[in-house]
Amino acid sequence: MATFFEQVSEMGVKQAVITKADEVVERLTAGMNISDIRSALRGDEPRRPNPRLRPHADSFWFHIRPSFYHTEVTHIYPTFRLGWLSTFMFVWETITGIILMVFYTPSPLVAYDNMWNILGNVPLGQLMRNMHRLGAEVMVLVVALHMLRTFITGSYKKPRQFTWATGVILLTFTALLSFSGYLLPWDQLAYWALTVFLSGAEAAPAPPELNANVLLILQGAPSLGAGGLLRWYLFHVLLLPLLTAIFFFVHYYKVVLYGISLPPGREEIGEDTAKRVPKDERTYFTPDILTSELLWTALITLFLTAGSLWFWDAPLEHHADPIVTPLHVVAPWYLAWSQGWLKLADKTIVIGFIPLLIVMFVVMPYVEVGKSRRYADRRVGLTVACLFFTAMLVSNWMGSPEFRVQSSPELEVAQEVMPQEGANVLLGVPYEYLQTGIYLPGEEISDNPYLTRALEEFEAAMQNHSCVLNGNPDMPREGIWDDCRELEGGRFGNDFGDNAMPDPFAALRITQEQANMVRLTLMFEVLDPNNPGEYLVQSGDSIYAFRHEGSFYEEECRFLNKDC
Amino acid sequence: MQVKVVIGTIAFMLTMIILGYAALREPERLEHFTAAREGRMVETGAKLYFDNCATCHGVDGTAQECYDSLGNPIDCQGLPLNNYFLVCGDTPARLEQTLFEGTKEQFIERTVSAGRSGTAMIPWSERYGGPMRDDQVKNVAAFVLNFANEELCAAEPISFNWPDSVDDFFVMETEDFVAAAGDPENGAAVYTSFACNSCHGNVDEAGSNQIGPWLGDIEEVGATRVEGETAVQYVYNSILHPNDHIAPDCATGPCIGPPSAMVQDLAFRMSNYPQYMVDLLAYLIGE
Ligand code: HEM
Repeated sequence: MATFFEQVSEMGVKQAVITKADEVVERLTAGMNISDIRSALRGDEPRRPNPRLRPHADSFWFHIRPSFYHTEVTHIYPTFRLGWLSTFMFVWETITGIILMVFYTPSPLVAYDNMWNILGNVPLGQLMRNMHRLGAEVMVLVVALHMLRTFITGSYKKPRQFTWATGVILLTFTALLSFSGYLLPWDQLAYWALTVFLSGAEAAPAPPELNANVLLILQGAPSLGAGGLLRWYLFHVLLLPLLTAIFFFVHYYKVVLYGISLPPGREEIGEDTAKRVPKDERTYFTPDILTSELLWTALITLFLTAGSLWFWDAPLEHHADPIVTPLHVVAPWYLAWSQGWLKLADKTIVIGFIPLLIVMFVVMPYVEVGKSRRYADRRVGLTVACLFFTAMLVSNWMGSPEFRVQSSPELEVAQEVMPQEGANVLLGVPYEYLQTGIYLPGEEISDNPYLTRALEEFEAAMQNHSCVLNGNPDMPREGIWDDCRELEGGRFGNDFGDNAMPDPFAALRITQEQANMVRLTLMFEVLDPNNPGEYLVQSGDSIYAFRHEGSFYEEECRFLNKDC
Repeated sequence: MQVKVVIGTIAFMLTMIILGYAALREPERLEHFTAAREGRMVETGAKLYFDNCATCHGVDGTAQECYDSLGNPIDCQGLPLNNYFLVCGDTPARLEQTLFEGTKEQFIERTVSAGRSGTAMIPWSERYGGPMRDDQVKNVAAFVLNFANEELCAAEPISFNWPDSVDDFFVMETEDFVAAAGDPENGAAVYTSFACNSCHGNVDEAGSNQIGPWLGDIEEVGATRVEGETAVQYVYNSILHPNDHIAPDCATGPCIGPPSAMVQDLAFRMSNYPQYMVDLLAYLIGE
């Protein structure tokens, strides 16, 4: 071929540059020149031989993608694009995660400070953190939904059993990735979620020496500390992503090998025609699939960005403290079901059951070998799936503290309006509106909508945990409370539960502590109806929180996932 | 397909606009979060302070509750923290007195972490055997420094104007203070409540001093230390200006200094209670 200079002298500078650019583009795309790309974008028919197929043979990124799909699988149904979205989420997490890594050191001495540095000192740091954390949760959800869809369309059946099996492993890794990241901020939420999770290892159905050693390996020391944090950090940024990537490629190789399964009704029972695509049923990767994937990429990027900025906020509680156990330790939602089971059954059984469940999922397609993928022929399987799904939702609900509350009623009230951790309805009142004084639940404060609303919430919480025995002149708003049910052991119940305060007195006291900081004290007093003169509850000054002018809880309260 | 391209392009542009918007409001947001960080450190520090420090340093940090309504010291040994000379300005007086070269944050963090040996101020950091983690020490320090506010720091508080001569002091008459006869019994209580005994030991027991010189015989030796100074003048000076003269013999050899190892801020701490000086001198010198 002529050199660039020869071309210049031959056809002039302009034409030579255009020719050169065309050549460069063709090399980069491994086969398509500028006019090929433009015609693809316009949706024109390709020229012959089709240059759009060449990248699938010659380029790295396209050779792992099939050059065409069966048109039937390119609509929303049957894939719902969930496989692509799972892949996208993995990439998304990798990118945002690498950015966060720059500002993070896995040591209990600085990890928590690092989080505040990211929030208060790194431009767009909070957005990056929210994106990564929201992305982690969305990824679990997307992967689980992808699994649900492959089950429903019967795509796990022969010949795709192994695809399914690697998928189960990918879901496990996804959950572990999410959960291992949970520890890294080294706040109370992280520390205790992981501590509870690890305490499960001790109860596994195996010899105690083995359990003790597994626990030791997982937490790096007899208790969770610097060694444990480093290990979980390495799981999170190294081991698990690596394993996930490996299994992803195996998974994806199998998807390309067998083709995406057609909607169950579109082929004969027992046949698999995904790879035998008649010419007129082909949808080519370039431009159709590519466009569609880019569209979904753009949409979910928009969703995650807007979500992270305006609607959802990554939590950050107080510094991890091995001595202070929070009142209710809650697992993240995608593990809450196991917490629900733990409330019902013996720990050892539950911990033993979880790996068993994974194994059951892996072998399921090799055991359930019914030939038909059609819905009408799989009533039992689909019913079992529905039941399982429902059972998981119920278990998840049982995992929440609403189910079987253990602590005393005044602490439950405090937990609802002023928990030790996180922004809440009382701390969320802007500082200027926290005027010192003593306020009753439900009291209306003129010119102070924020405090009034907080006191309303206080009243609602009191309503859940109080009942009327004889009446209490100090609490004028008790008309709406339930009558007490007397229970054994001198306890009382109301319509909401078996843990209520009879004729309580409750108030919020706000005192000035420093020039720019107030103390909020929730005060509860309940006389013991069975022992006149004695108190059933007398919280004194013990339930309190400080609120500094600058602490900015009201900002956190703007987000959908914050309870205030 | 064209529709997809259009929607995708719009979504992409919206994302870019959102990112641009986020970047624009970033400086303000960063400021808010820096303040939030500071505020929450103070809040956590407050909890720690009330659980651990308030018994000695007082609920409001002035260490005032260490004295009952009659002004008698009760079992409480802390220095005031809610105090101009500790928290106001860039280099508060307390740093200069102790010849500390760092910032006030470092001064407080160091004192909380390592304690003051020989006093009731134990080392609080788990690095030195105490109960607190580094972050907790930082939080407590943030709380203490948060005592600094416009009102407190508006002007240097007028401290008691100690006369140079102890004789002038004894006959001093101001609006707030007229020296009464010294009460050795109260002087003994002052001796322990200001933790003099932790270094100088028990005056009734020679050799009980831990760091500084034993004071049981100061009535005699005090008169010999500085030419022209009586024992009482010498002790008075040593309390108010510990670096002016370094005593020859301390518990473990020659005394070091200047600066003296002696507590440096008694002039300021006793300002509210000048009568204690009278009582203390009565106790030590029998005046
Ligand atoms: C990180 C996690 C995962 C990624 C990135 C991923 C990715 C993909 C992709 C891109 C496809 C192509 C078809 C489609 O979009 O639906 C696919 C198909 C498939 N996946 Fe996954 N997947 C993941 C997890 C799972 C899980 C948890 C399962 C089930 C346990 C699973 C089972 C399958 C099966 C059976 C197919 C074949 C579907 C068919 O041929 O119709 N995958 N996966």
